[in-house]
Amino acid sequence: MRGNWGETILGLAVLAFAGIFLAYALGVTGMGKQGATYELTARFGEAGGIQPGAKVTVSGVKVGDVREVTIDPKTFLAVMRLTLDDKVKLPSDSTAKITSDGLLGGAHIAIAPGGAADDLKPGGEIANTQGAVDLFGLIGQVMRPKSDAPAEKPAPAASPSAAPKGTADLPEM
Amino acid sequence: MASLSQVLLGPVAALGRATRDALASVGRVARFAGQGIAAALTPPWYPRQILSQFLSVGFYSLPVVGLTAWFTGAALALNIYSGGDRFNASTVMPQIVALGITRELGPVLAALMLAGRVASAMASEIGAMRATEQVDAMVTLSTDPRRYLIAPRLIAATISLPLLTLITDIIGIAGGMQVSHYLIDLAPGIYVTNTVDFITAWDVESGLIKAAVFGFIIGLMGCFHGDNAKGGARGVGRATTSAMVSAAVLILASDYLLTSVFARP
Repeated sequence: MRGNWGETILGLAVLAFAGIFLAYALGVTGMGKQGATYELTARFGEAGGIQPGAKVTVSGVKVGDVREVTIDPKTFLAVMRLTLDDKVKLPSDSTAKITSDGLLGGAHIAIAPGGAADDLKPGGEIANTQGAVDLFGLIGQVMRPKSDAPAEKPAPAASPSAAPKGTADLPEM
Repeated sequence: MASLSQVLLGPVAALGRATRDALASVGRVARFAGQGIAAALTPPWYPRQILSQFLSVGFYSLPVVGLTAWFTGAALALNIYSGGDRFNASTVMPQIVALGITRELGPVLAALMLAGRVASAMASEIGAMRATEQVDAMVTLSTDPRRYLIAPRLIAATISLPLLTLITDIIGIAGGMQVSHYLIDLAPGIYVTNTVDFITAWDVESGLIKAAVFGFIIGLMGCFHGDNAKGGARGVGRATTSAMVSAAVLILASDYLLTSVFARP
């Protein structure tokens, strides 16, 4: 192992480079300075594309992230555990809304602060929530606005006698 | 008429013999692996041997692995930028580079470089010791060669490859960033933020688990082929080649198996 100083120095250089880049990356993303945080929960009717690690923003500025996404087996709501910066105290009537940066992906939780005098306590729950909008459902409604209506109407109109007969068959069977 | 039945049964017998030989060699590797693991997990250990293997397997592989990672990350970024442009996916280039490096290319390329550098070196070292009867001398001196030669190599390879993969991930992403900065004019800060926001801990962890398995394969193949080298210098040469080739093939095959286990939602 003695005598190959060149290799040793090269190895150290590689390690040093990786360390410097890692430090730079952590500095840029602010992950290195892990300040004090507190937790909140929020329940949503539609989680959309939210995954653990998604951003939580206030006025478009990142203040925390999503720790965990689970389903409440009783109410079937998506329960999200959020970790927020300790410096950001949210009024108790704040609203949490799932939005996305663009058409595809970048789902995050945007919190609109309310006006109440008291703040949400650590471990508290954001009561006012608005789940993700099903974009493709909306597009479908716009593109075929009356898709449900014509399908239902002609059926009784075309065969008024057939429908009662069909239903009348069932009890006899 | 015995000759007719021999003619008819000849190929079948040959097939049977080949199958039995293949199974036997799988069994030999498995027994060797079991003995190696047992020796690695139970005392006595030889800390000096383990440390020197860590240096030669892990530390002195850093320059090679680092260079490989840098060029791979850079080439991947360039390819995804120009190829992904066809369906407007060039904007997610940092994310795809990060995913490709952490999940697949980091562990596999580091392992293949190590298979070339380390598995062959182990096979030739142990093979030469076998050929010159140094291993037998060790037994005479009541030193268990499995504990003194095999276990330190298995331990060092299994632990240092995940560490090398971590370095590969970091340097590969740095390579991608350099390309995106100078050729595509994407600010390094944005590249890094996109990458860090996107990759999850599991992306990296699954790569590190893969790397530990690959490391064990490298150590095992190097030691196994070295230990079974026969016939002097020529045998050592053959052992070196087959250690490298079998390690590389097993790495890629187990990569697919591990990925199919990890990729389940």
